[in-house]
Amino acid sequence: MARNPYLPYPARLEETIVENDAKDIKTFRLAFDDPAGAAEFQYLPGQFAELSLPGMGEAPFGIASSPTETGRLLFSVKRTGLFTAELHSIEPGARIGVRGPMGKPFPWDRVAGKDLLIIGGGFAFTTLRSAIVYILDPANRSRFGSVLAVYGARTPGELMYRADLAAWQKRDDIGVHLTVDKPDQNWTQHVGVVTAVLETLTPSARNTLAIVCGPPIMIKFTLLTLSKLGFSDDAIILSLEMRMKCGIGKCGRCNIGSKFVCTDGPVFTREELKTLPVEY
Amino acid sequence: MTEKRIPQTDLDRLLARLRQRAAVYAPAEDGTGEVVLAALSGKESVTLEYRNFRLSPKALVLPQNQTLLCFKDGQAEEPRLPEGETILFGVRPCDARALLALDQVFLNGNPHDPYYARLRSGATVITLACARPMSSCFCTSVGGGPGDGTGADVLAVALAGDLLLRAETSKGEALLASLADLLSDATPAAVKEAQEQVRAAEDPMTPVKVDGSAERLRQAYDSPLWEAASRKCLGCGTCSFLCPTCHCFDITDEVRGGAGRRVRTWDCCAYPLFTLHASGHNPRPTPKERWRQRIMHKFRYAVENFDRLFCVGCGRCIRHCPASLDLRTVLKEVGA
Amino acid sequence: MTASHEIETRLRETAERLLGEKKVDLFLGHEKASLPLRTTPLFLTVAADAARLAWNPFCSPNLAVYLPRLFRAPADAREAKTAPPRPTVGVVLKGCDARSVVALIQEHQLPRDKLVLVGIACPGMVDARKAERVLGLHEALGAGEDAHGNIRAVVEDGTEVTLRREQVLADVCLECRAPTPSICDIVLGAAVEPREAHVARRQAEELESRPADARWAHFQQMMSKCIRCNACRQACPMCYCKDCLLDQTRPRWVGAGTDFSDVAIYHLARAFHMAGRCTACGACARACPMGLDVRLLVRKLNLEVEDLYGYRPGEAVDATPPLSAFAMDDPQEFLTEP
Repeated sequence: MARNPYLPYPARLEETIVENDAKDIKTFRLAFDDPAGAAEFQYLPGQFAELSLPGMGEAPFGIASSPTETGRLLFSVKRTGLFTAELHSIEPGARIGVRGPMGKPFPWDRVAGKDLLIIGGGFAFTTLRSAIVYILDPANRSRFGSVLAVYGARTPGELMYRADLAAWQKRDDIGVHLTVDKPDQNWTQHVGVVTAVLETLTPSARNTLAIVCGPPIMIKFTLLTLSKLGFSDDAIILSLEMRMKCGIGKCGRCNIGSKFVCTDGPVFTREELKTLPVEY
Repeated sequence: MTEKRIPQTDLDRLLARLRQRAAVYAPAEDGTGEVVLAALSGKESVTLEYRNFRLSPKALVLPQNQTLLCFKDGQAEEPRLPEGETILFGVRPCDARALLALDQVFLNGNPHDPYYARLRSGATVITLACARPMSSCFCTSVGGGPGDGTGADVLAVALAGDLLLRAETSKGEALLASLADLLSDATPAAVKEAQEQVRAAEDPMTPVKVDGSAERLRQAYDSPLWEAASRKCLGCGTCSFLCPTCHCFDITDEVRGGAGRRVRTWDCCAYPLFTLHASGHNPRPTPKERWRQRIMHKFRYAVENFDRLFCVGCGRCIRHCPASLDLRTVLKEVGA
Repeated sequence: MTASHEIETRLRETAERLLGEKKVDLFLGHEKASLPLRTTPLFLTVAADAARLAWNPFCSPNLAVYLPRLFRAPADAREAKTAPPRPTVGVVLKGCDARSVVALIQEHQLPRDKLVLVGIACPGMVDARKAERVLGLHEALGAGEDAHGNIRAVVEDGTEVTLRREQVLADVCLECRAPTPSICDIVLGAAVEPREAHVARRQAEELESRPADARWAHFQQMMSKCIRCNACRQACPMCYCKDCLLDQTRPRWVGAGTDFSDVAIYHLARAFHMAGRCTACGACARACPMGLDVRLLVRKLNLEVEDLYGYRPGEAVDATPPLSAFAMDDPQEFLTEP
């Protein structure tokens, strides 16, 4: 009998890593109580899960770890409201429920042989971390062409996963360009918005898929730039955020037009989004 | 499938027999002059003199208030799901069809909803055909009909003095077989009379043009008519709560200490808070977006997803809206 | 021609003039609904459409509920820059609607100078559900008013059924003590006698005469039918809070389900928030899809306010609502001698 989709897997918080200088973004490493649960939780980058705290309800978060990082389940959470504040305050060893994996991942079946352009802004880099770690894994790397990542934040202190970013920048099988709006005196890399960096780098659109995650305003301008660079609508992949409850396409809350962001998304191509009403 | 018959005077015996094996719901007066689909304890006076119930039977497969999880010491557990059968007697054809729409959402697709599945599989539906539709009924325009057996396990037609019964599913066949000693075969004349009664009931209904509604609504997405139509909407939730196909719900935790429950309750897309994000952004900020969403969901998105209208023409929303909004008027304006 | 018909003609002329002369940007009234025994609100912006306006015994909706949102202040300075100028709104008011407008003006939700109020003294409106109950298994396909003020319904087999007005008037109309609008710019029709004061008290007194456990059982039975749709709140002109206490999630004061405690607290809280503010328009009871006596609690609370402070909501726009004011001689035995 199939598992009850409303019943979270029991898990525990193993470790908390503070990601940014403002200390309001933390990455949580979770471990399932039951190895059987861990084995069932098979996911691909781009998917999300609902984290559950009894009494506080649930909230959806993109999975920040890659399935290639066995035994490491990561979620990065920004403290914005009641639920996230509670998450930020719990200690290692505390119980958390995990429901998922949910949603459609990035279209890994389409990327074979393609070049990838990965663009992230601010806090939305979580599932992109998952994607990059997945791509760089030796078992996967040869499936993809060249990989170029552009990641922007307001200040150097707001960049997440700085250890990972530094390690990636040392590699020759991925290009990682970081940019900030406001540099500090130690910053030696790009300054300016992500779109400005794109326009400097002018990545080719030929045989390339672009994956874009970021705040609405960044997405808006990035799409314009990608159009200019010659990317067609079905070559641009986005991840949407919506208010969610059940996460399994039943409660109706996250629906946009005929789609549910939780089951038909959150990953959509620009072409798919254009058919939907602008209610997000 | 042969039609069976039972004299209406034997109805109480039939229901008593059914009560031996299941919880039975049947039309009965509730003490205020209204006929409701009541849980029978044996003391009610069952009647077949009614048009339709105010509340749709969806409450019996998707309760207003349903515990999803129990919490103890911070651990989540499944509640014990209800056991046993229910028999719903006297459901109208529109409401029976509506259950199939709910099945699309809760049973089809991956994953399916175990709470809904348990209540649904335990339910046997005995539909009672309509002899007299109301002026707010329009089931024939949305693929149904006053004698439509879709969604029923047994279809019943009340003639003068007799009740004709016909099995529509194997579940229904088994049910009628278990009642064989109470039933006799219906005469061809009675069957013909039943067919004529159904046909006569179809005539008075004013047709509503819904063919191609999905495409017309797609084109009318930005039409000014949504603003005009929705200005009257109070966001009161009556339409969604009474609608037999509306299924949107909210999930909340009710916990003190480490103990409590996670519960789902009916929700309504016409409520201002339905799509409100924690950031304060609301993709559907005014009644216009919300009312448009309601119509779009039922007459366009459901068609795109399930090839099925999520409206069965029961007319409850028209009859009970305190502002007397009528979605038939809107559909007509969109088609114009 | 019935009195209603005459008023209807003059109402149409008035609305046409107000819109035509641009004295109002918007005129709120009633028009025929798709089902008989009902009207539906009408938002007019074009003078020529004034012919759609109706005035008849089915004009039950309280149009005051639509007014606050027309005058909602912009959320912030940026919104204020692009917000359109506030409209001047004409609206037709019965006695109860006018009381709601008075209360909303007192609470600063409506600007008096942007309203053109057309007042009509109301002889009472038909409760469609009551009429349908009287008709039983017959269904009205059309209904109108006859020369005696009774309702003549044409049912499905073509026959006419006369419903005595008193039999089908809304409960709240049968006890209405201020059918003539206390506030208006234009008056149509003649004044109407208010109902006697004791009629309004009768229901509350009857309930109070029952022993406590019978009253509790009555309350419980009513609450057991509530489906928590919030229609009563949404229909109420005095429930205009952007963030209703009963919807709040931080903290969550009351659950959204039909557990008795949640249902009871919802109604109790709303009743206490209505004490001294409820204008007895009956919109809540009309909206309730379950036909509950939603006014059960607030009826009593309003009488308490009347007895303690001599105040009935909505009758004098210059009055200060007693629960917003303090006078040294306010009765306060409930503090010292509970």
